[in-house]
Amino acid sequence: MKAQLYILILVVFASLQGLFAQNKLTNAVNALQNSEFVKAQELIDAAIQDTIFKDDLRTWYYRGNIYKELFKQIELEDNRNEHRSIAVSSFKTSYDMDRDSEVAMSNQSNLNYLASTMFNDAVNQLDNKDYTLAIDNYEGYKSIIKFIEPGRDFIKEDIQFKLALASSYTMLSEIDTLNLGIYLEKSKLLYEEVLLLDSNNISGNYNMAILYYNQGADIINNMDYSLDLKELTMIQEDVHVLFSKSLPFMLKAYTMNPNKMETLIGLKGIYYSMNNMEKSDLFKHKIEELENKEIKN
Amino acid sequence: MKQIGYILVFSIVFCFGFTETHSSKIDTNSKIKAVFLYNFTKYIEWPTEYKNGNFVVGILGNSAALYKELSLMSKTKKVASQEFEIKIYTSADDINDKIHMLYIPDEASGSIKNASQKLKGKSTLIVTETPELSTQESGINFIIVANRQKFELNKSNVEGHNLKVSKSLEDLAVVVN
Repeated sequence: MKAQLYILILVVFASLQGLFAQNKLTNAVNALQNSEFVKAQELIDAAIQDTIFKDDLRTWYYRGNIYKELFKQIELEDNRNEHRSIAVSSFKTSYDMDRDSEVAMSNQSNLNYLASTMFNDAVNQLDNKDYTLAIDNYEGYKSIIKFIEPGRDFIKEDIQFKLALASSYTMLSEIDTLNLGIYLEKSKLLYEEVLLLDSNNISGNYNMAILYYNQGADIINNMDYSLDLKELTMIQEDVHVLFSKSLPFMLKAYTMNPNKMETLIGLKGIYYSMNNMEKSDLFKHKIEELENKEIKN
Repeated sequence: MKQIGYILVFSIVFCFGFTETHSSKIDTNSKIKAVFLYNFTKYIEWPTEYKNGNFVVGILGNSAALYKELSLMSKTKKVASQEFEIKIYTSADDINDKIHMLYIPDEASGSIKNASQKLKGKSTLIVTETPELSTQESGINFIIVANRQKFELNKSNVEGHNLKVSKSLEDLAVVVN
């Protein structure tokens, strides 16, 4: 008799627990629908601890949606990245449970959306000189897209991102001149990476050429007029090395697009600084020809 | 809409693709020449009557980049207590002043005989940048050796203008006579 009573109590307790858990998920969804996102967050976080719901792909799907909405809330901006990160991992979990489920497409679409926000943030962070965050967000963007499309190649995006990052470092080197060497080295490494991905990339070749050229031009620009002639001879040797390093990259950029004005100006300048007036004049004429052509058109 | 978002972002990134050269900010060869010219004032001695007033550097013809560079130099440098004064002469006929140095760019090299006539008996260092001129009226002629800026010194031409050349300058120059 006593045993039967215990069993009855256990059954009632288990049923109540199930009901409560059911309520947690239903209430979380209701809160989401009513735009009560903080309340929904508490409920859904409780639901994922529950053995009844933690293996249900819908729990993770709703959690993804709740955290996506929290991520979009301006007033919760301090936790923006954390919310997005949880939304991403929740959608991934839901998607991994069944890639053909009724919410699979929605999981994909949400992941795509969150990836695009990471890409946009990366670009904005480059503008704001938050380079570490920019790199993190760009890598985050790639990681999401790779999850959805495992075979996807990122060569094009990688090149664009590295070019933008290198360009930002170069711009920073002109502002923070105390760390000029560090930033230029970072830019150089990134251009090298770009050229490893695509040796014919015009921007990579052009910017690498400009980087070396500007280093030489800056040395000359910063010379004092009273510099001793012997030192001037040594400086001429140093800058000649830099201009010589610049030249093949600019020539490559020129080969890839012989009618690009920036490249023609670059070659004219490099040859001029290398005291090769014949070649400098040759590109000066090409610039004039191109200008005349542009006027006629 | 999402598609547009991506396109906008990529176009922003692409704008970063090309960075500016510093060639638009500085004429490297003119800066190097300006350093040479300033050094010449240390290695060459002008007679006493040229050691007062401004130290005049004339440029014959149009050499805007060198003029700009020498003008910059004149703001910070002096020859002993003499301030630099940079002048442009459109023709050799215009040279009537007491000038310490006359720079004749390659484009104006055809005027060297005329200029030299105008400067006869005056203590003016004639500086050129045209091959062969060092064997004519030029005192110092800029030359390119293995893509580096060097200079030829015609000591007798310099001394012919009552200027003294230091041994150190001879050691650094390609001496032509």
